[in-house]
Amino acid sequence: MAENENKSRRNFLGILGALGLGWIGALVYPIFRYLSPQKVPDPFGEDGLALVENINPADVARPGMGKNGGYGGRGLIVFRNKSNKLKAFDSKCTHAGCNVEFQGDKIYCNCHGGTYDLNGKNIAGPPPKPLTELGVEEKDGALYVFRMVNDKAEGA
Amino acid sequence: MDKYEIPPDAESRLPSNDKVTGRAARFLLGRYKIWPIISHLLDKTVPHYRHSYWYNMGGILLFLFSVQVITGILLMIYYRPAEPWLSVQRIVMEVPFGNIIRSVHHWSANLMVLTIFLHMFSTFFMKAYRPPREFTWLTGLGLAALTLLFGFSGYLLPWDDLSFFATRVGISEIDKAPFIGGWLGDLARGGPDVTLDTIGRFYVLHVTVLPLLILGLISAHLLFIQIQGMSETDSFTALPPEKKKYSKFFSDYLFGEIPVWLALSALLIALAAAFPRELMPEADPFASAPEGIKPEWYFLSQFQLLKLFPGSIELLGLVILGLVPLSFLVLPFIDRSIPADSRGRVILKLGIVAVLGLTAFTIWGWLS
Repeated sequence: MAENENKSRRNFLGILGALGLGWIGALVYPIFRYLSPQKVPDPFGEDGLALVENINPADVARPGMGKNGGYGGRGLIVFRNKSNKLKAFDSKCTHAGCNVEFQGDKIYCNCHGGTYDLNGKNIAGPPPKPLTELGVEEKDGALYVFRMVNDKAEGA
Repeated sequence: MDKYEIPPDAESRLPSNDKVTGRAARFLLGRYKIWPIISHLLDKTVPHYRHSYWYNMGGILLFLFSVQVITGILLMIYYRPAEPWLSVQRIVMEVPFGNIIRSVHHWSANLMVLTIFLHMFSTFFMKAYRPPREFTWLTGLGLAALTLLFGFSGYLLPWDDLSFFATRVGISEIDKAPFIGGWLGDLARGGPDVTLDTIGRFYVLHVTVLPLLILGLISAHLLFIQIQGMSETDSFTALPPEKKKYSKFFSDYLFGEIPVWLALSALLIALAAAFPRELMPEADPFASAPEGIKPEWYFLSQFQLLKLFPGSIELLGLVILGLVPLSFLVLPFIDRSIPADSRGRVILKLGIVAVLGLTAFTIWGWLS
Protein backbone atom coordinates (compact mmCIF):
# COMPACT_ATOMS: atom_id res chain seq x y z
CA MET A 1 0.00 0.00 0.00
CA ALA A 2 2.66 2.47 1.09
CA GLU A 3 4.91 1.27 -1.71
CA ASN A 4 2.13 1.82 -4.22
CA GLU A 5 1.65 5.30 -2.89
CA ASN A 6 5.37 6.03 -3.23
CA LYS A 7 5.33 4.70 -6.75
CA SER A 8 2.40 6.82 -7.80
CA ARG A 9 4.01 9.83 -6.14
CA ARG A 10 7.20 9.20 -8.10
CA ASN A 11 5.18 8.90 -11.31
CA PHE A 12 3.37 12.10 -10.52
CA LEU A 13 6.63 13.94 -9.81
CA GLY A 14 8.04 12.57 -13.06
CA ILE A 15 5.10 13.90 -15.04
CA LEU A 16 5.37 17.20 -13.20
CA GLY A 17 9.10 17.40 -14.03
CA ALA A 18 8.48 16.68 -17.71
CA LEU A 19 5.71 19.28 -17.83
CA GLY A 20 8.00 21.75 -16.07
CA LEU A 21 10.75 21.22 -18.62
CA GLY A 22 8.24 21.63 -21.43
CA TRP A 23 6.98 24.82 -19.84
CA ILE A 24 10.49 26.25 -19.49
CA GLY A 25 11.30 25.27 -23.07
CA ALA A 26 8.11 26.89 -24.33
CA LEU A 27 9.14 30.10 -22.57
CA VAL A 28 12.82 30.06 -23.46
CA TYR A 29 12.55 29.18 -27.14
CA PRO A 30 10.59 32.27 -28.22
CA ILE A 31 12.91 34.48 -26.15
CA PHE A 32 15.95 32.83 -27.72
CA ARG A 33 14.52 33.35 -31.22
CA TYR A 34 13.52 36.92 -30.34
CA LEU A 35 17.09 37.76 -29.29
CA SER A 36 18.81 35.96 -32.16
CA PRO A 37 19.78 38.38 -34.93
CA GLN A 38 17.52 38.40 -37.94
CA LYS A 39 18.99 37.35 -41.25
CA VAL A 40 20.55 40.26 -43.07
CA PRO A 41 19.12 40.63 -46.57
CA ASP A 42 21.58 39.95 -49.36
CA PRO A 43 22.92 43.33 -50.53
CA PHE A 44 23.03 42.15 -54.14
CA GLY A 45 19.73 42.38 -56.02
CA GLU A 46 18.27 39.97 -58.57
CA ASP A 47 20.73 41.19 -61.19
CA GLY A 48 23.57 40.55 -58.71
CA LEU A 49 24.29 44.26 -58.41
CA ALA A 50 24.38 46.47 -55.33
CA LEU A 51 24.21 50.25 -55.57
CA VAL A 52 27.31 52.03 -54.26
CA GLU A 53 26.46 54.79 -51.78
CA ASN A 54 28.53 57.90 -51.09
CA ILE A 55 30.87 57.39 -54.08
CA ASN A 56 30.14 58.92 -57.49
CA PRO A 57 31.96 58.01 -60.70
CA ALA A 58 33.52 61.50 -60.56
CA ASP A 59 35.15 60.61 -57.20
CA VAL A 60 37.18 57.88 -58.91
CA ALA A 61 37.53 59.42 -62.36
CA ARG A 62 41.33 59.46 -62.62
CA PRO A 63 43.99 56.90 -61.65
CA GLY A 64 45.01 57.29 -58.02
CA MET A 65 41.61 58.57 -56.89
CA GLY A 66 39.70 56.58 -54.29
CA LYS A 67 36.99 56.95 -51.66
CA ASN A 68 35.18 55.22 -48.82
CA GLY A 69 31.51 54.49 -49.27
CA GLY A 70 29.04 51.71 -48.72
CA TYR A 71 26.73 49.11 -50.25
CA GLY A 72 23.79 47.43 -48.57
CA GLY A 73 24.74 48.89 -45.18
CA ARG A 74 28.35 47.67 -45.40
CA GLY A 75 31.52 49.67 -45.82
CA LEU A 76 33.33 49.78 -49.15
CA ILE A 77 36.37 51.35 -50.80
CA VAL A 78 36.51 52.06 -54.53
CA PHE A 79 39.59 53.41 -56.31
CA ARG A 80 41.09 53.62 -59.78
CA ASN A 81 44.52 52.01 -60.01
CA LYS A 82 47.49 53.06 -62.16
CA SER A 83 46.36 50.90 -65.10
CA ASN A 84 43.09 52.88 -65.06
CA LYS A 85 41.09 49.93 -63.70
CA LEU A 86 38.35 50.43 -61.11
CA LYS A 87 38.84 48.26 -58.02
CA ALA A 88 36.44 47.73 -55.09
CA PHE A 89 36.92 46.02 -51.75
CA ASP A 90 34.70 45.49 -48.77
CA SER A 91 36.33 47.92 -46.34
CA LYS A 92 36.05 45.66 -43.30
CA CYS A 93 39.58 44.90 -42.14
CA THR A 94 40.05 41.15 -41.77
CA HIS A 95 41.81 41.67 -38.43
CA ALA A 96 39.38 43.41 -36.09
CA GLY A 97 36.71 44.81 -38.38
CA CYS A 98 37.64 48.50 -38.62
CA ASN A 99 37.10 50.22 -41.98
CA VAL A 100 40.27 50.47 -44.08
CA GLU A 101 41.30 53.50 -46.09
CA PHE A 102 42.69 53.87 -49.63
CA GLN A 103 46.00 55.74 -49.37
CA GLY A 104 47.21 55.91 -53.00
CA ASP A 105 49.91 53.25 -52.95
CA LYS A 106 48.37 51.03 -50.31
CA ILE A 107 45.24 50.25 -48.33
CA TYR A 108 45.67 51.00 -44.65
CA CYS A 109 43.73 50.43 -41.44
CA ASN A 110 44.04 53.14 -38.77
CA CYS A 111 43.05 50.89 -35.90
CA HIS A 112 46.08 48.62 -35.71
CA GLY A 113 48.20 49.50 -38.73
CA GLY A 114 47.06 46.63 -40.94
CA THR A 115 48.32 47.19 -44.51
CA TYR A 116 47.14 45.71 -47.81
CA ASP A 117 48.46 46.17 -51.33
CA LEU A 118 46.22 47.50 -54.09
CA ASN A 119 45.09 43.97 -54.88
CA GLY A 120 43.77 43.62 -51.35
CA LYS A 121 46.54 41.27 -50.24
CA ASN A 122 47.57 41.66 -46.59
CA ILE A 123 51.24 42.70 -46.62
CA ALA A 124 51.93 44.12 -43.16
CA GLY A 125 50.48 44.34 -39.68
CA PRO A 126 48.01 42.01 -38.00
CA PRO A 127 45.44 41.16 -40.75
CA PRO A 128 45.32 37.38 -41.25
CA LYS A 129 43.55 37.40 -44.64
CA PRO A 130 43.24 39.53 -47.78
CA LEU A 131 40.33 41.95 -48.14
CA THR A 132 37.20 40.72 -49.90
CA GLU A 133 37.30 42.05 -53.46
CA LEU A 134 34.14 43.05 -55.29
CA GLY A 135 33.54 43.63 -58.97
CA VAL A 136 32.61 47.22 -59.81
CA GLU A 137 30.96 48.82 -62.83
CA GLU A 138 29.48 52.13 -63.86
CA LYS A 139 25.87 52.17 -65.01
CA ASP A 140 23.65 55.21 -65.69
CA GLY A 141 25.98 57.57 -63.88
CA ALA A 142 26.17 55.46 -60.72
CA LEU A 143 28.53 52.79 -59.46
CA TYR A 144 27.47 49.25 -58.73
CA VAL A 145 29.37 46.40 -57.11
CA PHE A 146 28.86 42.71 -57.66
CA ARG A 147 30.17 39.51 -56.17
CA MET A 148 33.31 38.17 -57.82
CA VAL A 149 33.16 34.54 -58.87
CA ASN A 150 36.16 32.24 -58.24
CA ASP A 151 37.89 35.15 -56.62
CA LYS A 152 41.37 34.52 -55.31
CA ALA A 153 41.09 37.54 -53.05
CA GLU A 154 38.12 35.93 -51.33
CA GLY A 155 40.71 34.15 -49.16
CA ALA A 156 39.89 31.25 -46.80
CA MET B 1 -2.80 41.33 20.17
CA ASP B 2 0.38 39.35 20.43
CA LYS B 3 2.92 42.08 20.81
CA TYR B 4 6.62 41.37 20.51
CA GLU B 5 8.34 41.98 23.80
CA ILE B 6 11.27 44.34 23.46
CA PRO B 7 14.30 42.33 24.59
CA PRO B 8 15.93 43.59 27.82
CA ASP B 9 19.18 43.94 25.91
CA ALA B 10 17.42 46.31 23.51
CA GLU B 11 15.75 48.24 26.34
CA SER B 12 19.13 49.02 27.84
CA ARG B 13 20.56 50.27 24.52
CA LEU B 14 17.62 52.18 23.01
CA PRO B 15 17.23 55.93 23.52
CA SER B 16 14.85 56.74 26.36
CA ASN B 17 11.11 56.77 25.80
CA ASP B 18 10.70 60.52 26.12
CA LYS B 19 12.68 60.98 22.90
CA VAL B 20 11.05 60.62 19.45
CA THR B 21 13.80 58.23 18.30
CA GLY B 22 13.25 56.05 21.34
CA ARG B 23 9.50 55.88 20.78
CA ALA B 24 9.96 55.16 17.05
CA ALA B 25 12.47 52.39 17.78
CA ARG B 26 10.11 50.76 20.32
CA PHE B 27 7.18 51.12 17.89
CA LEU B 28 9.10 49.23 15.19
CA LEU B 29 10.75 46.66 17.44
CA GLY B 30 7.34 45.88 18.98
CA ARG B 31 6.11 44.86 15.54
CA TYR B 32 9.10 43.41 13.73
CA LYS B 33 11.33 40.91 15.50
CA ILE B 34 14.54 42.29 14.11
CA TRP B 35 16.42 43.17 17.28
CA PRO B 36 18.99 40.36 16.76
CA ILE B 37 19.84 41.84 13.34
CA ILE B 38 20.00 45.40 14.69
CA SER B 39 22.18 44.47 17.64
CA HIS B 40 24.47 42.46 15.34
CA LEU B 41 24.90 45.53 13.13
CA LEU B 42 25.38 47.83 16.14
CA ASP B 43 28.20 45.59 17.32
CA LYS B 44 30.01 45.72 13.97
CA THR B 45 33.57 46.90 14.37
CA VAL B 46 36.35 47.76 11.99
CA PRO B 47 39.95 46.93 12.94
CA HIS B 48 41.92 50.10 13.47
CA TYR B 49 45.54 49.96 12.38
CA ARG B 50 48.03 51.12 9.82
CA HIS B 51 46.27 49.48 6.87
CA SER B 52 42.74 50.45 7.90
CA TYR B 53 42.26 52.90 5.04
CA TRP B 54 41.99 49.97 2.65
CA TYR B 55 38.66 49.20 4.33
CA ASN B 56 37.38 52.45 2.78
CA MET B 57 37.43 51.05 -0.75
CA GLY B 58 34.07 49.28 -0.53
CA GLY B 59 32.39 52.38 0.84
CA ILE B 60 33.93 54.50 -1.91
CA LEU B 61 32.58 52.05 -4.48
CA LEU B 62 29.09 52.27 -3.01
CA PHE B 63 29.33 56.05 -3.16
CA LEU B 64 30.48 56.04 -6.80
CA PHE B 65 27.79 53.50 -7.67
CA SER B 66 25.15 55.83 -6.21
CA VAL B 67 26.55 58.65 -8.34
CA GLN B 68 26.23 56.38 -11.39
CA VAL B 69 22.62 55.56 -10.56
CA ILE B 70 21.65 59.21 -10.12
CA THR B 71 23.55 60.61 -13.13
CA GLY B 72 22.48 57.60 -15.21
CA ILE B 73 18.80 58.19 -14.49
CA LEU B 74 19.25 61.86 -15.36
CA LEU B 75 20.99 61.02 -18.66
CA MET B 76 18.21 58.60 -19.60
CA ILE B 77 15.73 61.46 -19.58
CA TYR B 78 17.23 62.98 -22.74
CA TYR B 79 18.99 59.98 -24.28
CA ARG B 80 17.19 58.45 -27.30
CA PRO B 81 18.43 55.06 -28.51
CA ALA B 82 16.90 55.74 -31.94
CA GLU B 83 19.05 58.84 -32.44
CA PRO B 84 21.84 58.24 -29.98
CA TRP B 85 24.43 60.75 -31.17
CA LEU B 86 21.97 63.63 -31.67
CA SER B 87 20.45 63.11 -28.25
CA VAL B 88 23.86 63.05 -26.54
CA GLN B 89 24.85 66.15 -28.49
CA ARG B 90 21.71 67.81 -27.15
CA ILE B 91 22.67 66.80 -23.60
CA VAL B 92 26.13 68.28 -24.14
CA MET B 93 25.20 71.46 -26.03
CA GLU B 94 21.68 72.44 -24.97
CA VAL B 95 20.52 70.88 -21.73
CA PRO B 96 21.54 73.01 -18.72
CA PHE B 97 24.29 71.22 -16.80
CA GLY B 98 24.00 68.32 -19.27
CA ASN B 99 27.68 68.38 -20.08
CA ILE B 100 28.61 68.28 -16.40
CA ILE B 101 26.20 65.46 -15.59
CA ARG B 102 27.46 63.40 -18.54
CA SER B 103 31.09 64.06 -17.59
CA VAL B 104 30.48 63.18 -13.94
CA HIS B 105 28.93 59.91 -15.14
CA HIS B 106 32.04 59.28 -17.24
CA TRP B 107 34.55 60.16 -14.51
CA SER B 108 32.67 58.33 -11.79
CA ALA B 109 32.65 55.22 -14.01
CA ASN B 110 36.40 55.46 -14.48
CA LEU B 111 37.05 56.03 -10.77
CA MET B 112 34.78 53.10 -10.04
CA VAL B 113 36.85 50.75 -12.19
CA LEU B 114 40.06 52.09 -10.66
CA THR B 115 38.69 51.65 -7.12
CA ILE B 116 37.55 48.12 -7.95
CA PHE B 117 41.12 47.25 -8.89
CA LEU B 118 42.38 48.80 -5.61
CA HIS B 119 39.64 47.06 -3.61
CA MET B 120 40.38 43.73 -5.25
CA PHE B 121 44.13 43.88 -4.84
CA SER B 122 43.95 45.15 -1.27
CA THR B 123 41.64 42.24 -0.49
CA PHE B 124 44.17 40.03 -2.22
CA PHE B 125 47.23 41.28 -0.35
CA MET B 126 45.43 41.37 3.02
CA LYS B 127 44.40 37.79 2.21
CA ALA B 128 40.77 38.51 3.04
CA TYR B 129 39.57 36.10 0.32
CA ARG B 130 40.58 33.00 2.30
CA PRO B 131 38.05 30.68 3.94
CA PRO B 132 35.50 31.35 5.32
CA ARG B 133 35.12 34.35 3.00
CA GLU B 134 35.11 32.52 -0.35
CA PHE B 135 31.69 33.80 -1.36
CA THR B 136 32.49 37.41 -0.51
CA TRP B 137 35.45 37.10 -2.88
CA LEU B 138 33.41 35.37 -5.61
CA THR B 139 30.57 37.88 -5.48
CA GLY B 140 33.24 40.61 -5.57
CA LEU B 141 34.69 39.13 -8.76
CA GLY B 142 31.18 39.06 -10.21
CA LEU B 143 30.77 42.73 -9.33
CA ALA B 144 34.09 43.55 -11.02
CA ALA B 145 32.98 41.70 -14.17
CA LEU B 146 29.61 43.48 -14.18
CA THR B 147 31.35 46.84 -13.79
CA LEU B 148 33.55 46.14 -16.81
CA LEU B 149 30.43 45.15 -18.78
CA PHE B 150 28.81 48.41 -17.68
CA GLY B 151 31.85 50.21 -19.04
CA PHE B 152 31.86 48.35 -22.34
CA SER B 153 28.13 48.74 -22.97
CA GLY B 154 28.04 52.40 -21.90
CA TYR B 155 30.98 53.29 -24.12
CA LEU B 156 28.98 52.61 -27.31
CA LEU B 157 25.88 54.59 -26.36
CA PRO B 158 27.07 58.08 -27.50
CA TRP B 159 27.51 56.56 -31.00
CA ASP B 160 30.49 58.69 -31.98
CA ASP B 161 33.08 57.33 -34.37
CA LEU B 162 35.51 56.43 -31.60
CA SER B 163 32.98 54.43 -29.60
CA PHE B 164 31.61 52.85 -32.79
CA PHE B 165 34.92 51.43 -34.01
CA ALA B 166 36.16 50.58 -30.51
CA THR B 167 33.03 48.49 -30.01
CA ARG B 168 33.46 46.88 -33.40
CA VAL B 169 37.01 45.91 -32.45
CA GLY B 170 35.93 44.77 -28.97
CA ILE B 171 33.18 42.48 -30.23
CA SER B 172 35.46 41.11 -32.96
CA GLU B 173 37.54 39.67 -30.09
CA ILE B 174 34.43 37.84 -28.89
CA ASP B 175 34.03 36.48 -32.45
CA LYS B 176 37.40 34.78 -32.16
CA ALA B 177 36.47 32.72 -29.11
CA PRO B 178 36.25 29.04 -30.03
CA PHE B 179 32.94 27.30 -30.87
CA ILE B 180 30.35 29.84 -29.68
CA GLY B 181 32.36 33.01 -30.42
CA GLY B 182 30.68 33.85 -33.71
CA TRP B 183 27.22 33.20 -32.31
CA LEU B 184 27.94 35.29 -29.18
CA GLY B 185 29.33 38.13 -31.28
CA ASP B 186 26.24 38.16 -33.50
CA LEU B 187 24.02 38.03 -30.43
CA ALA B 188 25.86 41.02 -28.90
CA ARG B 189 25.68 43.05 -32.14
CA GLY B 190 22.24 41.89 -33.20
CA GLY B 191 23.73 40.94 -36.57
CA PRO B 192 27.04 40.72 -38.41
CA ASP B 193 27.74 44.45 -37.98
CA VAL B 194 27.50 47.06 -35.25
CA THR B 195 24.36 49.04 -36.09
CA LEU B 196 21.56 50.86 -34.27
CA ASP B 197 20.31 47.36 -33.43
CA THR B 198 23.44 47.02 -31.30
CA ILE B 199 22.53 50.24 -29.48
CA GLY B 200 19.16 48.70 -28.60
CA ARG B 201 20.88 45.71 -27.04
CA PHE B 202 23.62 47.63 -25.26
CA TYR B 203 21.17 50.22 -23.97
CA VAL B 204 18.86 47.65 -22.42
CA LEU B 205 21.86 45.83 -20.98
CA HIS B 206 23.29 49.05 -19.56
CA VAL B 207 20.14 50.48 -18.01
CA THR B 208 18.09 47.46 -16.94
CA VAL B 209 19.79 44.05 -17.07
CA LEU B 210 23.14 44.99 -15.54
CA PRO B 211 21.64 47.26 -12.84
CA LEU B 212 19.30 44.47 -11.69
CA LEU B 213 22.15 41.97 -11.61
CA ILE B 214 24.53 44.31 -9.82
CA LEU B 215 21.95 45.24 -7.17
CA GLY B 216 21.46 41.56 -6.40
CA LEU B 217 25.19 40.90 -6.22
CA ILE B 218 25.89 44.00 -4.12
CA SER B 219 23.25 42.83 -1.64
CA ALA B 220 24.79 39.36 -1.39
CA HIS B 221 28.31 40.80 -1.09
CA LEU B 222 27.27 43.15 1.73
CA LEU B 223 25.18 40.52 3.47
CA PHE B 224 28.14 38.12 3.60
CA ILE B 225 30.36 40.86 5.03
CA GLN B 226 27.79 41.80 7.70
CA ILE B 227 27.35 38.18 8.76
CA GLN B 228 31.08 37.42 8.97
CA GLY B 229 32.41 40.77 10.05
CA MET B 230 35.50 42.53 8.75
CA SER B 231 38.47 40.41 7.84
CA GLU B 232 41.71 41.03 9.73
CA THR B 233 45.24 40.54 8.46
CA ASP B 234 47.32 37.76 10.02
CA SER B 235 49.61 40.34 11.62
CA PHE B 236 46.63 42.07 13.28
CA THR B 237 45.16 38.78 14.49
CA ALA B 238 48.54 37.87 16.02
CA LEU B 239 48.60 41.04 18.15
CA PRO B 240 48.00 40.66 21.90
CA PRO B 241 44.37 41.61 22.74
CA GLU B 242 45.35 44.82 24.54
CA LYS B 243 47.05 46.11 21.40
CA LYS B 244 44.10 45.43 19.07
CA LYS B 245 42.10 48.55 18.43
CA TYR B 246 38.67 48.63 16.82
CA SER B 247 36.35 51.41 15.75
CA LYS B 248 32.63 50.92 16.03
CA PHE B 249 31.08 50.90 12.55
CA PHE B 250 27.95 52.72 13.82
CA SER B 251 28.65 55.46 13.85
CA ASP B 252 32.32 56.28 14.51
CA TYR B 253 33.58 54.66 11.32
CA LEU B 254 30.62 55.79 9.21
CA PHE B 255 31.02 59.42 10.27
CA GLY B 256 34.68 59.12 9.43
CA GLU B 257 33.68 58.33 5.84
CA ILE B 258 31.76 61.56 5.34
CA PRO B 259 34.90 63.60 4.52
CA VAL B 260 35.81 60.93 1.95
CA TRP B 261 32.41 61.30 0.25
CA LEU B 262 32.72 65.08 0.24
CA ALA B 263 36.21 64.88 -1.22
CA LEU B 264 35.00 62.47 -3.91
CA SER B 265 32.11 64.75 -4.87
CA ALA B 266 34.52 67.65 -5.18
CA LEU B 267 36.94 65.54 -7.22
CA LEU B 268 34.20 64.35 -9.61
CA ILE B 269 32.89 67.84 -10.23
CA ALA B 270 36.41 69.22 -10.66
CA LEU B 271 37.30 66.47 -13.15
CA ALA B 272 34.03 66.93 -15.04
CA ALA B 273 34.53 70.68 -15.25
CA ALA B 274 38.23 70.59 -16.17
CA PHE B 275 38.15 67.54 -18.45
CA PRO B 276 34.61 67.18 -19.84
CA ARG B 277 33.96 64.01 -21.79
CA GLU B 278 34.40 64.74 -25.49
CA LEU B 279 31.81 63.88 -28.11
CA MET B 280 33.49 62.93 -31.40
CA PRO B 281 31.74 63.20 -34.80
CA GLU B 282 28.79 60.87 -35.29
CA ALA B 283 29.64 57.28 -36.15
CA ASP B 284 29.67 56.68 -39.92
CA PRO B 285 29.61 52.95 -40.73
CA PHE B 286 30.92 53.73 -44.25
CA ALA B 287 33.85 55.97 -43.34
CA SER B 288 37.35 54.73 -42.65
CA ALA B 289 38.23 54.28 -38.99
CA PRO B 290 39.71 57.41 -37.39
CA GLU B 291 43.23 57.32 -36.06
CA GLY B 292 43.92 56.65 -32.41
CA ILE B 293 41.24 54.02 -31.82
CA LYS B 294 41.91 52.69 -28.37
CA PRO B 295 39.77 50.92 -25.85
CA GLU B 296 39.13 52.49 -22.46
CA TRP B 297 42.23 52.29 -20.25
CA TYR B 298 40.87 49.35 -18.27
CA PHE B 299 40.80 47.20 -21.41
CA LEU B 300 44.25 48.32 -22.61
CA SER B 301 46.22 45.55 -20.88
CA GLN B 302 44.10 42.78 -22.41
CA PHE B 303 44.26 44.55 -25.75
CA GLN B 304 48.04 44.87 -25.62
CA LEU B 305 48.45 41.24 -24.63
CA LEU B 306 46.34 40.11 -27.60
CA LYS B 307 48.59 42.13 -29.91
CA LEU B 308 51.45 39.78 -28.96
CA PHE B 309 49.52 36.89 -30.47
CA PRO B 310 48.74 37.88 -34.06
CA GLY B 311 46.98 35.80 -36.68
CA SER B 312 46.88 32.07 -36.17
CA ILE B 313 48.16 32.08 -32.58
CA GLU B 314 45.55 34.63 -31.47
CA LEU B 315 43.58 31.82 -29.80
CA LEU B 316 46.54 31.20 -27.51
CA GLY B 317 46.37 34.84 -26.39
CA LEU B 318 42.66 34.47 -25.66
CA VAL B 319 43.37 31.34 -23.59
CA ILE B 320 46.03 33.16 -21.54
CA LEU B 321 43.59 36.03 -21.11
CA GLY B 322 40.96 33.60 -19.86
CA LEU B 323 43.34 32.03 -17.34
CA VAL B 324 43.66 35.27 -15.34
CA PRO B 325 40.02 35.50 -14.17
CA LEU B 326 39.94 31.73 -13.78
CA SER B 327 42.88 31.79 -11.35
CA PHE B 328 41.14 34.55 -9.37
CA LEU B 329 38.04 32.34 -9.17
CA VAL B 330 39.83 29.32 -7.73
CA LEU B 331 42.08 31.39 -5.44
CA PRO B 332 40.09 31.02 -2.17
CA PHE B 333 39.94 27.27 -2.69
CA ILE B 334 43.71 26.96 -3.07
CA ASP B 335 45.01 29.30 -0.37
CA ARG B 336 44.72 28.12 3.23
CA SER B 337 43.91 30.22 6.26
CA ILE B 338 47.27 29.51 7.85
CA PRO B 339 49.54 32.45 8.76
CA ALA B 340 52.99 32.29 7.07
CA ASP B 341 51.84 29.34 4.97
CA SER B 342 54.30 28.40 2.22
CA ARG B 343 51.52 28.10 -0.35
CA GLY B 344 50.22 31.50 0.70
CA ARG B 345 53.64 33.06 0.12
CA VAL B 346 53.79 31.72 -3.45
CA ILE B 347 50.32 33.11 -4.12
CA LEU B 348 51.41 36.47 -2.72
CA LYS B 349 54.38 36.57 -5.12
CA LEU B 350 52.16 35.63 -8.06
CA GLY B 351 49.88 38.47 -7.03
CA ILE B 352 52.76 40.94 -7.16
CA VAL B 353 53.60 39.65 -10.65
CA ALA B 354 49.94 40.10 -11.65
CA VAL B 355 49.85 43.72 -10.45
CA LEU B 356 53.15 44.57 -12.14
CA GLY B 357 52.07 42.82 -15.35
CA LEU B 358 48.70 44.56 -15.42
CA THR B 359 50.32 47.95 -14.83
CA ALA B 360 53.10 47.37 -17.38
CA PHE B 361 50.72 46.16 -20.11
CA THR B 362 48.34 49.06 -19.46
CA ILE B 363 51.16 51.62 -19.76
CA TRP B 364 52.55 49.84 -22.82
CA GLY B 365 49.11 49.84 -24.43
CA TRP B 366 48.71 53.51 -23.57
CA LEU B 367 52.01 54.48 -25.17
CA SER B 368 51.79 52.35 -28.32
